[in-house]
Amino acid sequence: MAKSMKRKKNLPAGKKVTWKEDFRKNGVLYLLFLPVLLWELLFHYLPLPGILMAFQDYSVNKGLFGSKWVGLGNFVDLFTGTGFPLAFRNTLAMALLSLTFGFFAPILFALVLTTYPHKKSRRGFQLASYMPNFVSAVVMCALATEFLSEKGAVTQLLSLLGAEKQNWLANPNIPVFWIIYTMIGIWQGIGWGSIIYVASISNISGELHEAAAIDGANRFRRVWHITIPGILPLVIMMWTMHIGMVFKMVGTNVLLLYMPQTYDVADVLSTYTYRMSFGGSNNYGLSTASGLFQSVMGLILLLTSNRLNKKATNYSLF
Amino acid sequence: MAKVAKKGHEGMVENGSIGGQTANVVLGLLLALVAFCSLVPMWHVLMSSLSNGRALFASEGLVLFPKGGFNLEGYKLVLKDAGILLSYGVTVFYVAGTAGLGLVLNVTGGYVLSQSSKLKPLFLGILIFATMFNGGLIPTYMVIRSLGMVGTPWAVIIPGCTNAIYVIMMMNAFLQVPQATVEAARIDGAGHISLMFRVMLPQARGFAMVTMINTALAAWNAWFEASIYVPRNKEWWPLQLYIRDLTSRNQDFLNYANPDYNRYLIQFAVIVVATLPVIVLLPFFIRKLEENMVVGAVKG
Repeated sequence: MAKSMKRKKNLPAGKKVTWKEDFRKNGVLYLLFLPVLLWELLFHYLPLPGILMAFQDYSVNKGLFGSKWVGLGNFVDLFTGTGFPLAFRNTLAMALLSLTFGFFAPILFALVLTTYPHKKSRRGFQLASYMPNFVSAVVMCALATEFLSEKGAVTQLLSLLGAEKQNWLANPNIPVFWIIYTMIGIWQGIGWGSIIYVASISNISGELHEAAAIDGANRFRRVWHITIPGILPLVIMMWTMHIGMVFKMVGTNVLLLYMPQTYDVADVLSTYTYRMSFGGSNNYGLSTASGLFQSVMGLILLLTSNRLNKKATNYSLF
Repeated sequence: MAKVAKKGHEGMVENGSIGGQTANVVLGLLLALVAFCSLVPMWHVLMSSLSNGRALFASEGLVLFPKGGFNLEGYKLVLKDAGILLSYGVTVFYVAGTAGLGLVLNVTGGYVLSQSSKLKPLFLGILIFATMFNGGLIPTYMVIRSLGMVGTPWAVIIPGCTNAIYVIMMMNAFLQVPQATVEAARIDGAGHISLMFRVMLPQARGFAMVTMINTALAAWNAWFEASIYVPRNKEWWPLQLYIRDLTSRNQDFLNYANPDYNRYLIQFAVIVVATLPVIVLLPFFIRKLEENMVVGAVKG
């Protein structure tokens, strides 16, 4: 062991270590990595050739090599059909709502929380707000179904404000499902998402606040002039990262919330892909094409967000 | 977290003044509203599960106290339902399987990547590409099917036990272990295995825990994987999938000639039973997860 280390020192770049030497030295390492490598290859890389199904009239009996090639036919079908453009529109709408209201709700909560002076009850409020993050998707959507049903608590509250009593999740009018989806996201993420902002706000120097207070700035002016500028770089970084992930995240719960009468407004790319393959129609070519479109859009957004991030904060993931 | 918070800006001069007091009340009310909205849905479910079935079925709106008197029939029906108990066991099996297997993969993978070797850049590249792009739902399903895993619990456990991000996270954790410690152990003749488990893992324990807790939580809450990989094998349904099935046909009992309204309580009781373990265990790992949220965001 000591010998090989010495040799490495003599060869500055380490480039001249031959493969044979490397294997003798690191063979155990490569053996240890084998399970992870195998896992990655099986579940991430082996499916990649399957993307070719997107360009085929895929039939399970004929397989990937026997099926008929249709070029971009599946994509033409997708964009000229009715379901896919609607799913794309809904994905964009819900992503946009998540990037605005969904994103800023935890920041607002963090600001209110850190401005509130009673430290003990502050921690209590914070812990309570974490709760929805630990409720499973199935339970959360069951709760939403219960509260938004005709006899539900939210429906009752809305009827006091003049809205008609109804099963809100079955309402096919345009912003209803989008708003519900966004509100559920806020409910789930407001506390857990605020952790990082609370930590960042707490790290702003107390001296700044004291100096401003002596100069006569009240709490809200201090939030505006000290706290918000203090967390702005973090906010920008998080927002650009959010752009990169938004396409992947939208729709995880839609599957549990939508129903045939709301398909037109609730369907998103991932649920469309799912329904085209598991929902009885079994059009694997079409659904792979839809999934590929979703992956490529996600990748473009991820790279764009990384670029934006680099520009804004000199920080990059890749 | 609490330590950092102390440096903050509390105890400011104007808290005693009238304007400050009103502002405090408004802020307090806002926070209380968020806390109320966060807690009340689960309270509603808990109280519903303890209600009288018929009274609950007829009731409207929020249930803050058991309707029509305290009643444990819902829980009795849950305990009698072999399907629920079985799916509970299946979920425990999935959680233990994914978390255990995931821990081994994350630790070994992270350790190898923290050591310099000729193949390390290739390994890291393979992982980073995997975080950015994947084959999608159908191609992945096809592979898992051709591996013969569809219809077996392995289709739920193995693909979900780790991911590239957790392995990279463990790599970063191992890289933070002071080099002096590692060198000292190496000179003492420690091989890779003892270096990994005896020297480095104890110092990177926090991160290993966090990846394990996150994997376990995800497995506890998962339903989608099981719904596509073991759809017809009810004996391998996890609790969450069972709940989804139960809540979607929560009024089926009305079809019987003499409906037992207590069957309406099952869905609430089973939600309580499925959520309680997480809530009870939460205080033990909440701080670890909080810290990780902060550190993870700073480092990406």
